[in-house]
Amino acid sequence: MGKLRFLFALWMAKLSIPALKITHHNGTDFPGSLAIKLCPDFLRYVEKPKTIVAVTGTNGKTTVANLLLDVLEKSGRKVMSNRAGSNIVSGISTAFIRACDGRGRLKDCDMAVLEVDERSSPKVYPYVKPTYLVITNLFRDSIMRNAHPGYIADILTASIPTDTRLILNADDLISCGVAPENSRVYFGIDRLSTDVTDCMNLLNDMRICPKCSGALRFEYRRYHHIGRAVCESCGFHSPESDYLARDVDFEKGSMVIGEKGETADYKLITDSLFNVYNMVTAIAALRQLGLSHEEIAGELDHAAILGTRHSEETVNGVGIVMEMSKDKNALACSRNFDYIQNRPGTKELFLMMNCLGVAKNWSENPSWMYDTDFEFLNHDNIRQLICAGPRARDYKLRLLLAGIPEEKIAVEDDEFRALHHLQLVPGDDVFILYGVDGMPRAFRVKEKLKEMLLAKEETIDEG
Amino acid sequence: MKAEILFPEVCNLYADTQNIRYLSRCCPALEIVETPLKTRPAFLDEDITLAYMGSATEKGLMLAVETLLPYKEEIQAKIDAGQLFLITGNAMDAFGQRVESDGDWHFDGLGLLPTRAQYTMMKRQNSFFLGTFDTESGPMDIVGFKSLFGHTYGAPEEDGLFTMVRGTGRNAKTALEGFRIHNFMATHLIGPLLILNPPFTKYLLLLMGCESTALAFEEAAFDSYRHRVEEFHETGRSAFYS
Repeated sequence: MGKLRFLFALWMAKLSIPALKITHHNGTDFPGSLAIKLCPDFLRYVEKPKTIVAVTGTNGKTTVANLLLDVLEKSGRKVMSNRAGSNIVSGISTAFIRACDGRGRLKDCDMAVLEVDERSSPKVYPYVKPTYLVITNLFRDSIMRNAHPGYIADILTASIPTDTRLILNADDLISCGVAPENSRVYFGIDRLSTDVTDCMNLLNDMRICPKCSGALRFEYRRYHHIGRAVCESCGFHSPESDYLARDVDFEKGSMVIGEKGETADYKLITDSLFNVYNMVTAIAALRQLGLSHEEIAGELDHAAILGTRHSEETVNGVGIVMEMSKDKNALACSRNFDYIQNRPGTKELFLMMNCLGVAKNWSENPSWMYDTDFEFLNHDNIRQLICAGPRARDYKLRLLLAGIPEEKIAVEDDEFRALHHLQLVPGDDVFILYGVDGMPRAFRVKEKLKEMLLAKEETIDEG
Repeated sequence: MKAEILFPEVCNLYADTQNIRYLSRCCPALEIVETPLKTRPAFLDEDITLAYMGSATEKGLMLAVETLLPYKEEIQAKIDAGQLFLITGNAMDAFGQRVESDGDWHFDGLGLLPTRAQYTMMKRQNSFFLGTFDTESGPMDIVGFKSLFGHTYGAPEEDGLFTMVRGTGRNAKTALEGFRIHNFMATHLIGPLLILNPPFTKYLLLLMGCESTALAFEEAAFDSYRHRVEEFHETGRSAFYS
């Protein structure tokens, strides 16, 4: 009965695909949602590839999954993925529906790379058992869904199959504690010249020993709870990295990966530390899959970060930097603010992380703003900060509390009107910061900004 | 003047401790004392104007209860004597009779509040809160948020801190939210409650005996507060997150 129900669900879901294509909705999760509605354990019956790599964690999972896919596909592997859809059970089901035939058998596929939302683990892993599970890191995320990182770690521990091999961040003691009985390898970044010992961030979720609740001492700390810690009471400490990034040099754009006493050279794909973590994470997973360092480095040379997350262009002498800063996610925003502060040049910031998904029907909880290091934006190289959209007043208050002079701050409910507050000084970079919900609107704002800059150019030409 | 933050290494979720940081921005004379786990609270022995405890992980909450339990009678005596407390988020549950969950754990609280918390671990209860706080000069609007694993039950219909207008009270069947017993104030509202509620913060500063009740960035705080009060009154918005 289960199998018949599965086949019915599969056919109905497959039939929906051309219908969605005709109506230009082919990027949605509807086929998967329909299949699960008709057959709640749909994922149990669909054929799975022999090797499955799942990527989860609070930050970086999309980037890491994309890097894995890019390298694996370029190296000739046939890989199915949920890149085109969501990372919840409906998106993963949709990916399988697209990848299988009418009997639920996979078509021409060597392996799967699946990005999996942490909260979706109990619905996914009982049926889709990863060979390897990559956990990028665990931090605070949406208060409404994710509560706190310890809660997510517990959900993962309860959901991960016992024979899944874990690929974990040695610098993150929260994710290191997941599923302690499972086999595992670790990746990390060696001590950097910028590391500290005391926490300089508001978020710090690993203050006590997970074994004895004694005080933890950090031998070095990169940011938040990321670093290398030891318990003063019981001696518990961070694990050693099997894949360790060393000699990270942003000026030269290079790093070295150390593995079992050998080293391999890599070029950095961006100038941000969090993307070095994403690279090291991907390298560790690819090495576990058997690729050589030469193969990985060769393909990563051509890799790029998704344009919807970070993109740059210059119009009439003014740089426009689109920077996804996930609203509700204090870590993502703090990392971005740190990056912006440290980037050379003068900046004008346009803050529109407004959780637009709930802006009309509910009202965003601004607690995450007070976990976020807005203090990084209190810097001479930031010329002005425009707070735009439904939460503009909350941003203003938060910026004032971060010590930013009031004359640098402008508030406007309408994002398009808010553009007129920008000074657009030639040579400045305008950072447009947006969340996931606000992405389409942010790119419309960017287009309007480009129009303004081009009009400015024409005015100057005419003059 | 001193404000004591209890167990900041675990009771620090949702930016709750920013409440006390904000108070110290408003009242520079206020010194912040942080008391770690496994340590006798300072308010039992010293002149502490305000004792504060904020939201924690469930494990953190158990550790907090473990630390406070030996001092239960002394804490009760302090409450009876009018010591000022502010307890936010699930920290309130530590002061109740018991915390029960649908998981494989539960623990007894301090038993200082007549209530029992019930958690459903795979279902978050998310809502905004619009309510009132009664003062001698009349009620003031209170805005805030709840993101919890459950509610608290079994308390008599008295001693509420706030009265719910929209959202949930102690649970879905009562408009009373939190507890106020003398100057012991506890609420399930999470996050920077005092930053979000400038009138309540002024009330608290007065209660603490601060020289001035002027707030840090008062104009911006009131602008944000008034906007949120208006939003929460809009009937097109549901108080419940979905």
